[in-house]
Amino acid sequence: MSQRGEWGFSFPVRLKMIDFARVQKELQECSKDVEESGIKVSPKSDNLALLIGSIPGPIGTPYEGGTFQIDITLPDGYPFEPPKMQFATKVWHPNVSSQSGAICLDILKDQWSPALTLKTALVSVQALLSAPQPDDPQDAVVAKQYLQDHHTFVGTARYWTETFAKASSLGVEEKVQKLVEMGFPEDQVKSTLEAVGGDENLALEKLCSG
Amino acid sequence: MEDQTLKYEFDESEEFSEAFVCCVCLDLLYKPIVLSCGHISCFWCVHNSMNGLSESHCPICRNPYYHFPTVCQMLHFLLLKMYPVAYKRRENQILEEEKRRGFFSPQFEAEACGSQAKVDNHGSSSCCTTMDLDSSSCLEPFSTTKEEPPAQMEELGSVIQRQLEGTIISEQASEGKKDAMGTLSVEGENLPGNEQKGQDKKISIADLLCMACKQLLFHPIVLNCGHVYCESCIVSIADEMLRCQVCQSPHPRGFPKVCLELDNFLKEQFPEEYAQRRDVVQLKTVEVEREIPPNCSRDNSKQGEKLPCLSDPQSKVHIGVGCDFCGMFPIMGERYRCKDCVEKIGFDLCGDCYNTRSKLPGRFNQQHTPEHGFELVRCRNMILRLVNGQLETTISDESFENSEVIFLDPILSDDGEENQNDSEFLF
Repeated sequence: MSQRGEWGFSFPVRLKMIDFARVQKELQECSKDVEESGIKVSPKSDNLALLIGSIPGPIGTPYEGGTFQIDITLPDGYPFEPPKMQFATKVWHPNVSSQSGAICLDILKDQWSPALTLKTALVSVQALLSAPQPDDPQDAVVAKQYLQDHHTFVGTARYWTETFAKASSLGVEEKVQKLVEMGFPEDQVKSTLEAVGGDENLALEKLCSG
Repeated sequence: MEDQTLKYEFDESEEFSEAFVCCVCLDLLYKPIVLSCGHISCFWCVHNSMNGLSESHCPICRNPYYHFPTVCQMLHFLLLKMYPVAYKRRENQILEEEKRRGFFSPQFEAEACGSQAKVDNHGSSSCCTTMDLDSSSCLEPFSTTKEEPPAQMEELGSVIQRQLEGTIISEQASEGKKDAMGTLSVEGENLPGNEQKGQDKKISIADLLCMACKQLLFHPIVLNCGHVYCESCIVSIADEMLRCQVCQSPHPRGFPKVCLELDNFLKEQFPEEYAQRRDVVQLKTVEVEREIPPNCSRDNSKQGEKLPCLSDPQSKVHIGVGCDFCGMFPIMGERYRCKDCVEKIGFDLCGDCYNTRSKLPGRFNQQHTPEHGFELVRCRNMILRLVNGQLETTISDESFENSEVIFLDPILSDDGEENQNDSEFLF
């Protein structure tokens, strides 16, 4: 086996390891302007290769008011290879699989550049939400509906946002569980949580007073 | 979660300008390379970003390029001088990584001034040490070296080299070898003045001189060889490839763009001198209607034609192999391999550079000398495999006898049959 004689024998030479120092910097950078951008990235566990991002639905779209969670997996070659992203929150969108959450976006594929970051990629995903590309669909059913029955599309997308992407629907199971453990009946917990818009503390207050 | 992210914070003792943050590693630039579009990145960041199969693209602007540029030593020493602590941290970090991988970036400590000084036929590295005392005592602007902790030998060494460069530059300036572009002189009036302002650790105009006019850079352009010029000092002859006036190495693919980060830095750092230089250059451009050929005409220069893309079945693409002189990566056409370089990374030249007998050592710190012998690399028995979107290369243990390349890569499979039949994919 000879590896002599080739500088930049790029495949063996190229770092097959995530640049964690950079990932840390990205997380730091992103946490600085969360207020402004609304875009969050945080590690799922101690392993920085698995992260979770969240983006607010763009204003003026059926996704407005929703918060969308995106699973991020960093490949070994990151940042020289694109991060793998897919929606963890269900989304009704021509370029997002309604089943798997897979995203059809060029910068997450061949148009990736190491100068892009997780945040810029999430910004692009957010932009994709406001500007669907039905001609290059990920989900053919949604794309067809988008083109042929736009009114229904908007309705469905909005319904999905309400159902799956509202802050109240995030972790609702855990909240219910918690309050039930405190000794409140489950159906009452559920209705109260709904009534206060998912706020755990408000719900507790209400449950106690009621 | 917020708390968790906070703990990743670097305990960075030294703040550095946003302008010198590498767009790829998001850290202080280390061994900076300026691409012909004017964007800066670290040596390894550029290398890792390059595409070993065909043309590469700037991470920032996606400007295509084929040649791995040489490290810009001027910027390297500038950063070392401005941010000694952070730069040292980066050096240690990268060196550790390099040791782990067994591939090394070029070292400038030993022969730093060499590359510039030798070309000028001034002192060799051996005289660096002897000149040290004299130069530091006679050259007031450079006296700051004395404050350097002597323990950091490498740093000290490089500062000495800067001194040496300084002396050479001032010698040249006093000899008046170059036709004066403006009226500013290198020594005297500028340097002490800047030291007073020098809020950014002791950098002076002498650290930011054009290779041609030896004055403060104005609209700096960094060529493929890493040498820096004012935009107005680059002599380009129509229909001929741009060449560096210092090292004569070619600058492929068109007229390079101004390095804006560096230009802004100059403007901020030396506002008066920069304004003066601007006036002089503008005056000159009005007097002499300089014609910069548009980029497109240069893109079609000879070099461009010689770079067929991978899909061309006639092309001999040495996938993942670069030329150590001009930086072409991957090498297309003839490939010559050094038989005597022992480094893991090896030493290769493209046909053109082999014929011009380059005398430069390797780009990865190889100890190549002109006495080394070369062999023309024919063909390589190899299998390309696409695993999870990754191109994995497996080189068989067998000799490099002529044999076909087997493509199992779905992306390439379109031309795959052709390749197997009539094209020799040299590797």
